[in-house]
Amino acid sequence: MNALDPNKLKVVKEVGRPGVLLAVAQQPASSRLFFGASDFKVHDFDVMAEKPEPVEYAGHESYVTGVVLAGKYMISGGYDGRLIWWDTETKQQVRSILAHSRWIRDLAATPNGKHVVSVADDMVCRIWDVASGKLVRDLLGHDSRTPNHFPSMLYACAISPDGRYIATGDRVGKNIVWDLANGRRLATLETPIMYTWDPKARIHSIGGVRSLAFSSDSSLLAVGGMGQVGNIDHLGGLARVEVFNWQKAERTHEFAGDEYNGLVERLAFAPKDQWLLAAGGDNAGFIKFFDLSASKLIKQDKAPMHVHDFVLNENGGTIYAAGHGKAVVWSLDAA
Amino acid sequence: MTRRNSSGGLSDQAISRRSFLGSTLATTAVLTAADMTVLDALQSPAMAEELKRKDKRVIVFWLAGGASQLETWDPKPGRPTGGPYRAIQTNVPGIQISELMPKMSQRLQHTSIIRSLNTKIGDHGGGATLMHLGRRDESALKLPDLGAMIAREMGQIDSAVPDYVAFYTATEGRGGGTGQSGFLGARYAPMFLTTESKPADLSLPPGIGEIDHQTRADLRQLLSNRFSEGRKSSSLGSHNEAYARVRGLMSSEQLFDISGEPQSIRDQYGPTLFGEQTLVARRLIEAGTPFVKVSRAWWDSHGQNFETHLELVTELDHVMSGLLDDLEQRGLLDNTLVITMSEFGRTPNINASLGRDHFASAWSVSLTGCGIKGGSVYGKSDEDGQTVADGEIGAAQVFATIFHALGIDHEKEYYVGVRPVPLTDPGTEPLKEVIA
Repeated sequence: MNALDPNKLKVVKEVGRPGVLLAVAQQPASSRLFFGASDFKVHDFDVMAEKPEPVEYAGHESYVTGVVLAGKYMISGGYDGRLIWWDTETKQQVRSILAHSRWIRDLAATPNGKHVVSVADDMVCRIWDVASGKLVRDLLGHDSRTPNHFPSMLYACAISPDGRYIATGDRVGKNIVWDLANGRRLATLETPIMYTWDPKARIHSIGGVRSLAFSSDSSLLAVGGMGQVGNIDHLGGLARVEVFNWQKAERTHEFAGDEYNGLVERLAFAPKDQWLLAAGGDNAGFIKFFDLSASKLIKQDKAPMHVHDFVLNENGGTIYAAGHGKAVVWSLDAA
Repeated sequence: MTRRNSSGGLSDQAISRRSFLGSTLATTAVLTAADMTVLDALQSPAMAEELKRKDKRVIVFWLAGGASQLETWDPKPGRPTGGPYRAIQTNVPGIQISELMPKMSQRLQHTSIIRSLNTKIGDHGGGATLMHLGRRDESALKLPDLGAMIAREMGQIDSAVPDYVAFYTATEGRGGGTGQSGFLGARYAPMFLTTESKPADLSLPPGIGEIDHQTRADLRQLLSNRFSEGRKSSSLGSHNEAYARVRGLMSSEQLFDISGEPQSIRDQYGPTLFGEQTLVARRLIEAGTPFVKVSRAWWDSHGQNFETHLELVTELDHVMSGLLDDLEQRGLLDNTLVITMSEFGRTPNINASLGRDHFASAWSVSLTGCGIKGGSVYGKSDEDGQTVADGEIGAAQVFATIFHALGIDHEKEYYVGVRPVPLTDPGTEPLKEVIA
């Protein structure tokens, strides 16, 4: 029997921080976390320390919306269009490049730490060589404008556990799977329900694909966002997850939500795909666990805050989350 | 020719659009559909200069729902309240606006930004009423809004085009954006357009040609003239005026049709409904309509403020800069006042949905063009945008400034019975720093 049980989910630590924590990465085999924040900084601290003592890395000129660990570097990306390489030991900036002409929304790193990918509102996914900081390839396939002539946004990216595939998702619910090695487009998956265009009451839109995750064997791609919204002044749609066998372009699962409203901001499969974990929120937050083999929701609970990002530890039993005004640690450990 | 004076009588001081057109186009009576070639004539330098000298116009962008001052005219980059968007330098040294407005940043020499509104009303209905009337409404007396007052002051009694046109297509908040003529009467109520950008019922009925229509009008006029012989009655004049006005409005139908505009002009305004309606607004003011309000709803970004403003401010930046360029190229910008305003701004504090809520304590409007000292900023909010730090004003001062910029005495009084009702509340002064 698995000692880890979503039904034993409990908050084991909350650390208040000013502003909004938008992204998180974990130093392997530790509780040292790096948070991208709305104060334009990266915050580095041991979340489980009795009195966490954050070290702040300044270098961005806007919200820091992505942080990843790649080899010996921590790389951050922000709304200033910059990617910054940081040495996690010296805590010094190593390299800063203007990577995109518009706002960077998300980052992902390959398991071997050789490449990092970035997505931004210039609607380009870029593959970077971590060691040299050189651009390897641009991936172009997302439209810069919505069908109603407004700027589109490229929110989410993910890299498969085998390091072969990249997935990207945009404002209007278009998802593309790419071959990392050669940049070929392998599949296009549509999740239009995640984009609400209101042509009558308010004449603008809300939503978009906010999270992507590959299963451990890379065959499934989970897509997170929010269902259709009646009043788009608020995040009033039900949290929504769709799962695809992307190579067959088949949707295998649809979790339309039942209780919690808001965006699914991050998705992750447990290390052995025991469950798919989703978190996000509206004015409040939620966390959900799905059993794909049974096509059912195992567990859902209110989060202490709107969750913008989380990362699982190595065995999947600890969840480190970043959100509005705080960092939170959940445990699934029966002990 | 004549313009109504403040007590409802007529003044011969003003030069009406009718005399202006009459002297320059040698026309008589009302315009017919064929006369709408005036649009082309108005593009000639001489005509534009004449219009510039004698006639002033207003286009209001009503940003319904409450646009964020922080993502438009009063950014606070790097502050906890500032949000993710940076400030960019404009073409006026020392003035920065949101990076979401790159086009307006290069046209700020025409614009005065007012950053110190404290209007105190944080609900949509109350805020919208205040910013339409320039003062709080009264239960005992229905007050006219800005459009009605300007239509009253600048419109012509025999105008062939509507004096006050208001677009509001979105359904949300429409009740707060309709406009009201109050005690000035239905004559100054807006031609209010909702689902269509073109007014309904202006077209001739099927089977009735323009010649038929003119013949019928001539016959009606002949009979009316015979009936009037030997009779003196104000209602007779009003009766004929009403017919002339309807006839004129019918001839203005093509003003609402932008299909004939060059593609380059249409691109200048963009493909959205807001852009198209703004192009119609330019056509209307060019043809003589003194006041057009183009409402763009709905900005009420309680959730996802930054995404909403990325969409809507980007659109506003394109449409407004396109309008200003077009007006300038036609020599109309000096005579046209372009205003952006809402019922209120949005909270500096960012909520858990990454939204901003209603906020009336320190927000911004902009005035561009006619009578305005461009490239200026009036007032100041504090470093986080929570309060007004300098130059606090209310809606009344904005209205007084608008009237002053248009050459209208803001202290002028209407009379409702024996009660004097000034255009702005007594004691209100225009912002001299904003006036050219």
